[in-house]
Amino acid sequence: MKQLVRGQGFGAIIGVVVMLSAFTVVDFSGWWTAQTISNVVQFTAILGFVAMGQALVIMAKEIDLSVGSVYGLTGVAFITLEPTLGVTGSLIVALGIAAFVGFLQAIAVVKGQLPSMIVTLGGLFTARGIIYVWTGGSVHNFSAAARSHPITRFLGGELFGIEAAIFWLIVAAAILNLLLWTTPFGNRLLATGGSKESAESRGVRTDRIKIAAFMLCSLLAGFAGILTLCDRPQTHVTLGELMELEAISAAVIGGCLLTGGRGSLIGAILGALIVVSFRYELIALGAPSSWFITFVGIVLIVAVIFNQKLARWLGHSV
Amino acid sequence: MNCKKSMLLSALLAATAFAGVAHAQDAEKQYRFVMVSHIGSNDPNMGWLTKSMEEFEKKYPNVKTEYISTNNYSVQEHVRLLEQAISTQPDGIAVPIVSSDAFEGPLRKAIEAGIPVVAFNIPDARPEGERIPYLTYVGGDEYLTGKKLGEYALEKAEAGEIPKPTHVVCASHDSAHQGLKARCQGMKDAMEAADAKFDELFIGAEPATARNTLQSFLQANPDTNYIFTVAGWSSPWAWGVAKDMGFDPDVDDKGVTVLTVDEGPVSIEGVRAGHVLATNSQGFWLQGYAPMEWLLWNKEFGYAPQSDILTGPVIINKDNADKWAELVRGVFGDKAYDEQNTW
Repeated sequence: MKQLVRGQGFGAIIGVVVMLSAFTVVDFSGWWTAQTISNVVQFTAILGFVAMGQALVIMAKEIDLSVGSVYGLTGVAFITLEPTLGVTGSLIVALGIAAFVGFLQAIAVVKGQLPSMIVTLGGLFTARGIIYVWTGGSVHNFSAAARSHPITRFLGGELFGIEAAIFWLIVAAAILNLLLWTTPFGNRLLATGGSKESAESRGVRTDRIKIAAFMLCSLLAGFAGILTLCDRPQTHVTLGELMELEAISAAVIGGCLLTGGRGSLIGAILGALIVVSFRYELIALGAPSSWFITFVGIVLIVAVIFNQKLARWLGHSV
Repeated sequence: MNCKKSMLLSALLAATAFAGVAHAQDAEKQYRFVMVSHIGSNDPNMGWLTKSMEEFEKKYPNVKTEYISTNNYSVQEHVRLLEQAISTQPDGIAVPIVSSDAFEGPLRKAIEAGIPVVAFNIPDARPEGERIPYLTYVGGDEYLTGKKLGEYALEKAEAGEIPKPTHVVCASHDSAHQGLKARCQGMKDAMEAADAKFDELFIGAEPATARNTLQSFLQANPDTNYIFTVAGWSSPWAWGVAKDMGFDPDVDDKGVTVLTVDEGPVSIEGVRAGHVLATNSQGFWLQGYAPMEWLLWNKEFGYAPQSDILTGPVIINKDNADKWAELVRGVFGDKAYDEQNTW
């Protein structure tokens, strides 16, 4: 319990409890239905992948604004290359593209000493531009054979009675949490984000750690894009547009500090749950759907203040 | 007398020759017309406009046409593109009036500087005396698009082919687009006249977010039985969400009925497959060709049409969808047509 309270994601847990209590009071019968929970959790799973990647980068004291475009580019590559390479081949190449984008951006940041905000902003535009040029404005359809391919069904249908995206999120979250909290890599990642100089003085190759963080972030975003398309192959070139903002919001709401060195992957997933739930419930309550972005802004600011106060109260330096 | 005749004949020949030379010079006069569009390469409808402009250039080799557009649409970005285009001093401009307020300043300056302007796709919705003084508007009528589709659906409901509307949602991907708002308004007027409840829902353009938003709306409003998507490419998303939620979205006398817009492969194949009741054509091909022709006629002869030129809406339903499919295949080619069918 003490560990839970001291954890960086504790603010997000409180946020989820408060949110669920509020939704229960305001709209009990509308919110607590199997259909609503299923829809919210499924989309949370997709955003959760992107938010976890973002959390890793933020923990390394960087930011990745390109995740929405990488999510889109990987998804589009998966669908567009499928007729030539088959489902397996296009899956591998699409994920390779995602990892390559992450690698290129990381090289520009660590070797070029450029701010990650600028580099990944460039990445956002470049990847989106490639989507437009590559597709000529229309994403190809996913053939009937590809839709029924075992890999497509494995990634997009239901596994063990739950949506595949949720299953894969649990698997990915478990692996990444182990990586972060039980391996030297996790320790080095947090050390790099906390104090780069201090980490380097202890022999941590911070450049390699940051490259790994960026590549993991892009891979997670790309995998989320593929999961989305395996589940619903009806898509468009706008795939992933503005998702970077939701992912950053989720990571920050989930307790990631932009000052680096602290964060929580579970918090990022809970942050994604808060973002998705707010959109869902606002519309259900009849608010204009364009209000959602206003509410995300308010929740984001409240969460940052709350997380900082919580961290200070727990004796962390922020 | 003979000398006089000879002189007159010589003068006549000289005048004819000069006129011929002058005419030849006129015929060779080069023009450059620019279409500053809101339909970027992320929208398959761009092909209608660019292909029709290519055809125009083939017919009028002395005219060079340019198509510029923005993908990540914003009114500010569109105005910036327009101002850039005006600064190159083209011989004519075709532009959709996405926002009359934002476009008024630059377009009035261009018109005052002698650059003729034709509005295409979206007109200035204000009364004639107040609107931007462009030559004419060439395009569909966005309001009529929604209204005629709504009236068509009501006809089918009266005939018992689809359910009568109880609650209609207009799913829009751009909350600031006047044209899309007008489409929703047309549908609203048609449906409210039939005592159906109406809502406009901003779903955004990102597929997963749009589906999530629509799911939420349908969950909270289970009486919704008509979904009108104001872009053809979002109709499969709406159909998919309604199907997943068990709302039977195919065209029959029960469940949800989906209506959409545009003559793109997605919309037409949606109709042919029985997923979508109807779509419309707003005569996209003409919207690329006709503005160029009017700009040319204005430059060459000073012509200006006396009224707007409506190129649509034309309802596309199961009775004529096969013909439309043939036509669209002819423009895009079979391969592109099949690839763009995302059903």
